[in-house]
Amino acid sequence: MADPGLTAALQALRRAARRSSVARRFDADAEQVLLQTIVDATVALFEAEASSIALFERDPDRLEFRVAAGAQGAGAIGLSVPPSRGIVGFVFSTGQPLALSDVLSDPRFDRATAERTGYVPRSIAAIPLVDRDQTVGVLQVLDKHTSPTFSLRDMELLAVFARQAAAAIRAARVQRDAYELFKSVLTRLGDSDVTEADVEAVVSAATTGLDTDEEIPFWRLVDRVAQLRDISDRELGLVTDILEVVAAHAARGRRSV
Amino acid sequence: MTDPLLPAWSEPFAPEARERLIRSAALRQVDREWAWGGATGAGVKVAIIDSGVEGTHPVVAGRLVESVTVEIVDDEARVVPDEPIDMYGHATACAGIVVGLAPEVEIYSVRVLGADLRGKGAAFLAGLEWAVEHGVQAMNLSLSSKSERLFPFFHEVVDQAYFKNVALVCAVNNVPGLSFPSTFSSVFSVAAHAIADAETFFYNPSPPVEWGAWGVDVPIGWKDGGTTVATGNSFAAPHMCGLVARILSKHPGLTPFEVKTALAAIASDPSET
Repeated sequence: MADPGLTAALQALRRAARRSSVARRFDADAEQVLLQTIVDATVALFEAEASSIALFERDPDRLEFRVAAGAQGAGAIGLSVPPSRGIVGFVFSTGQPLALSDVLSDPRFDRATAERTGYVPRSIAAIPLVDRDQTVGVLQVLDKHTSPTFSLRDMELLAVFARQAAAAIRAARVQRDAYELFKSVLTRLGDSDVTEADVEAVVSAATTGLDTDEEIPFWRLVDRVAQLRDISDRELGLVTDILEVVAAHAARGRRSV
Repeated sequence: MTDPLLPAWSEPFAPEARERLIRSAALRQVDREWAWGGATGAGVKVAIIDSGVEGTHPVVAGRLVESVTVEIVDDEARVVPDEPIDMYGHATACAGIVVGLAPEVEIYSVRVLGADLRGKGAAFLAGLEWAVEHGVQAMNLSLSSKSERLFPFFHEVVDQAYFKNVALVCAVNNVPGLSFPSTFSSVFSVAAHAIADAETFFYNPSPPVEWGAWGVDVPIGWKDGGTTVATGNSFAAPHMCGLVARILSKHPGLTPFEVKTALAAIASDPSET
């Protein structure tokens, strides 16, 4: 019999992967959207008080909490910690996953940082986000409702989520890096008549091609839906109705094949 | 006298030379009493390659002998004396577990982590080389490197350690992808089991991970004299390291290969746990 925890995790990951592709079409902030999906799924699966992802940024070197979820997660967003401090710093510096429970028994344990988030946890699990041979950040989970500690199984599941997050970060960064690269090359090549807007137009035309499956109807639909973001609730209701009819029709079509 | 017709690598096995191959132990008779009965770790030097051991921490019980760290100046790694402080708490946790199992070991702290050494494989490598050169008999490495560029250098120093009879006890990293030296064949690669007993350990005949030791909800020493409870392969490795130190204190001169063999003989019986 399939393990319900694992099935739930795999479903969550499939949703995350699909959303990653869709999000790239919707806006440039795909990384943020997908990372948010991952911490949302982590909180749900682990039944945890909070989950968050910190990414490494330079100048100065720091781990910046980019997304968080859960009842006690919000306080962490935007917070930066030095990579030389605390559990998150250790896991980032060594690439070695770690879980601590009974954190409060050490009165000095990372309390300053924890208090800045407005929540001092009793237990923490943290796992590195590894992209090829580089650690790019840390995924952490605070306080499961169901248990005062994290099991080996928890750590394994968390590693699956961390892999997904690392892949998302890479995808977003490849896209961003390609965009920046095109832009700098074009700016250098172009003479003074080329405006910033011209460069932008050429770059977006070039980088859009990085998304595969251009001709698949699903992606055309995604693009159309993306254009509908600003419409009113009434119009949105109408579009939803139409999509439901389309979905039902598609399902009938698939059965008849 | 050596036989000029015999290739050099075969000389140790020539009849007149074979006396030198006689070992102190008959492994078939190995049990825990033989392996470490009455052993305290006395006379064994253990290096903790990590975040720097906190010398005054109660779990270290005054067993810290020397502290060094690695400085990187103009891409040159240099080993220099260090304060006996811990940047995170992790090295102190590992040292505490080793001392808990082998109370009379001598601990050498080699700090390769910290504000200036973030993720620097070169520092890790330099620390490892230093410990091999400084005559420790065992090392605990609850960390690993993923730098492909450094792979051949790690391979070389791990071989040097093996040939100098230094037991390298390494926590494996569960994060996918190559990570070393924990995946090299000569080291003692360790992952965690959840049985709360420091002397319960398993031998896995299907490498790369050969040993399973307690690594779930382990009470540990942490930064600034503190304590906490931790889970991770990081805390399984020092359990194996402590047991290795015990064996080496009772049987000085055993090679890493012989220590592994003895450990395999006395490993916990999976059918009894």
